[in-house]
Amino acid sequence: MTHMPRRRLAALGVSIAASALLAGCVATGGTAAGPAVGEDESGPLVLQSRFTDAEKGGMEQLVAGFNELGEGEVELNSIPTSTFNAQLPTYLTSATPPDVYTWYAGQATRDFAEQDLLLDLSDVWESGMGDFSPALRELSQTEDGTEVFVPTGYYWWGVYYFKSDFEKLGIEPPTTWDEFLAACDQIKSQGVNPLTMGLSDNAWLASAWFDYLDLRINGGDYHLDLLSGDESFDSPEVRAVFDEFAKVLPFFDPAVLGTSHNQAMSDFAQGKSAMYLLGAWAQPSVPEDRRDDLAFFQFPIIDPDVPVAEEAPTDGFIASVKSTRPQLAKRFLEYVASAEAQSMLMKGQQGTALAANPEAEQTLDELASQGKEMLESAAQVTQFFNRDAGDALQGPADAALTQFIAQPENIDAILEEWQAAAERVRAGS
Amino acid sequence: MTITALPRDRRRAKVPPPIVFAFVLIPFLIEAVGVFWPAIQGVGLSFLRWNGIAPAEPVGIGNYVDLMSDPIFLTAIRNTAIWIVLFGGISFVAGLGVALLFQSERRGVGVYRTALFLPIVFSLVVTALIWTAFFQPSGVLNTFLQSVGLGDLTRVWLGDPDTALYAVIVAALWREIGYVMVLFIAGLKGLDPSVMEAARVDGATRWQRFRLVTFPQLRSVNLVVLSVIIIDSLRSFDIVWAMTRGGPFHSTELLSTYMFSTAFESRALGYASAIAVVIFLLAIAVIVSYLVRALSEEKES
Repeated sequence: MTHMPRRRLAALGVSIAASALLAGCVATGGTAAGPAVGEDESGPLVLQSRFTDAEKGGMEQLVAGFNELGEGEVELNSIPTSTFNAQLPTYLTSATPPDVYTWYAGQATRDFAEQDLLLDLSDVWESGMGDFSPALRELSQTEDGTEVFVPTGYYWWGVYYFKSDFEKLGIEPPTTWDEFLAACDQIKSQGVNPLTMGLSDNAWLASAWFDYLDLRINGGDYHLDLLSGDESFDSPEVRAVFDEFAKVLPFFDPAVLGTSHNQAMSDFAQGKSAMYLLGAWAQPSVPEDRRDDLAFFQFPIIDPDVPVAEEAPTDGFIASVKSTRPQLAKRFLEYVASAEAQSMLMKGQQGTALAANPEAEQTLDELASQGKEMLESAAQVTQFFNRDAGDALQGPADAALTQFIAQPENIDAILEEWQAAAERVRAGS
Repeated sequence: MTITALPRDRRRAKVPPPIVFAFVLIPFLIEAVGVFWPAIQGVGLSFLRWNGIAPAEPVGIGNYVDLMSDPIFLTAIRNTAIWIVLFGGISFVAGLGVALLFQSERRGVGVYRTALFLPIVFSLVVTALIWTAFFQPSGVLNTFLQSVGLGDLTRVWLGDPDTALYAVIVAALWREIGYVMVLFIAGLKGLDPSVMEAARVDGATRWQRFRLVTFPQLRSVNLVVLSVIIIDSLRSFDIVWAMTRGGPFHSTELLSTYMFSTAFESRALGYASAIAVVIFLLAIAVIVSYLVRALSEEKES
């Protein structure tokens, strides 16, 4: 009988192995779950936040503020942005996902909503978000008009410069494209780089130029059609964008492709480069002693007949449809939407964002008021390339734009490849 | 039962105690669940179109067909080949060279060995930071070139598609040469000095001694070094990702970086798995073909 244990062991081993293999199977099927109804499970609501250390303070206050109300407990997990962005689909499709997340409005949110991964938040909108602008409401909706996003704030993009540097160079902030090109020329003749970008580690910054040139030349509607795949990157309209882009290329620091964003920021702060097209998030990285000197102007108007559109990337919250505490999640998001909470959140963001709730109290500094005015006077707002097109299309855009900066003469091949790469990504993901 | 009945008696004495099976099975299961199964699944994924959110869609060999016409994939293949030849070749030759130079125990030789070995103690990401600073537009290299009157040679090393790949290879070599040197020194120390002595007595020149005596004796070390180099080449990822992220516009894209960005930035998990399968096949093909040759040579001799 001595052979029996061996065979039994082997059989045991095989069955353990088989069940382990089955259990380890990657779930590649659909993950839609029924709508969350009924009682909440006990325990705290888990909030995954993508904010970086600089922005973490406001979020912590927000959570503390809610917990003090005694309506339930929220637990905050702050995760570095790049990790968070890569992990979010995994969180949302897992069997027991965290409940609430910080995220971007627009296509980035709709991508998840289309797969029924997001909690219907129309209750939250009905119960106290009537004051929010219709534009923000539309932005928070899926195609069929269900709200799945609660906006907290938005920010602006502009061409940043230092007032004292412009004075020294004898430059007035330009408003039209011709004035802008003339200013660049004048700055360059004085031995200063008119423009810079840190593309070696943040190639996506080049998309800001593409977005704005397209918005100014072809308008917001065309831009959104292009980014959603209804128009081709290899079209005469996009070609026109690059014709104008080519005009500013000589005014960029010749080393933009090998310059990191931090290096570009420090060149900018030291006056080696005069202007930098940036979002408001970049303001805190300007050295404190120069921050009062910092200013921005609206991206110059190219065709006055095109309605002015501006980039106004909106941040906010989404919730998982599989949350086991949907009632608490909604209560928390109602709080997040409140004027009181958004005042607190904005205070923590060093004046680089505008509260989505119009009732929120916010002391706006000069830049923030200018940004707010600029966005309110815009005929249309867009999010940003990756938020409007979906994150997956950022890679092809980065490749096309950086190649254009290095080899503008290859524009035909670049646009053809961009369109082909975009089609590959849309088909493959 | 009837089949097993026959040899049963003969084997009975040899059956190891059950605990031995536990020792074999448990690590095997851990390995199976943690390594083999995900690897097999990777192959399975490569026949799907899947973004991690929507339901997966079987596409057969569609991903592999698409790879063949994907210009970025072809660039990545070409760059990986350049990487294996330059990174692998130079680290082999240079590693062997410095090992020969520093094998004998002379005064001060330890300092040189240590200096060459030192880069290995840095993590690759730190290495990348150091070399990024070195290659920066206003970094050490360009400043040096300016100061010695070679200002014409300065360029944006990591931002210029013509130089970026080679700049990254230099950084990777800085680390790998010391590693290969250590392997070779260990091998050289194991050689029988009397053979070398005999060759010297017979009047063999330095080159002859190396080519006909030392190098053939290093065969087993060569095998290790080549495997290490090829595996290191194919898995090179961190240093490229930290220095250029495969850019500018894919000019430093390796198969590994392209796989990563396809999977986690473009979220085309099926397509990325197809790239991973290609990498796996390449690694296996190169190593197996070398092993087969090395083993058959061994048999002959």
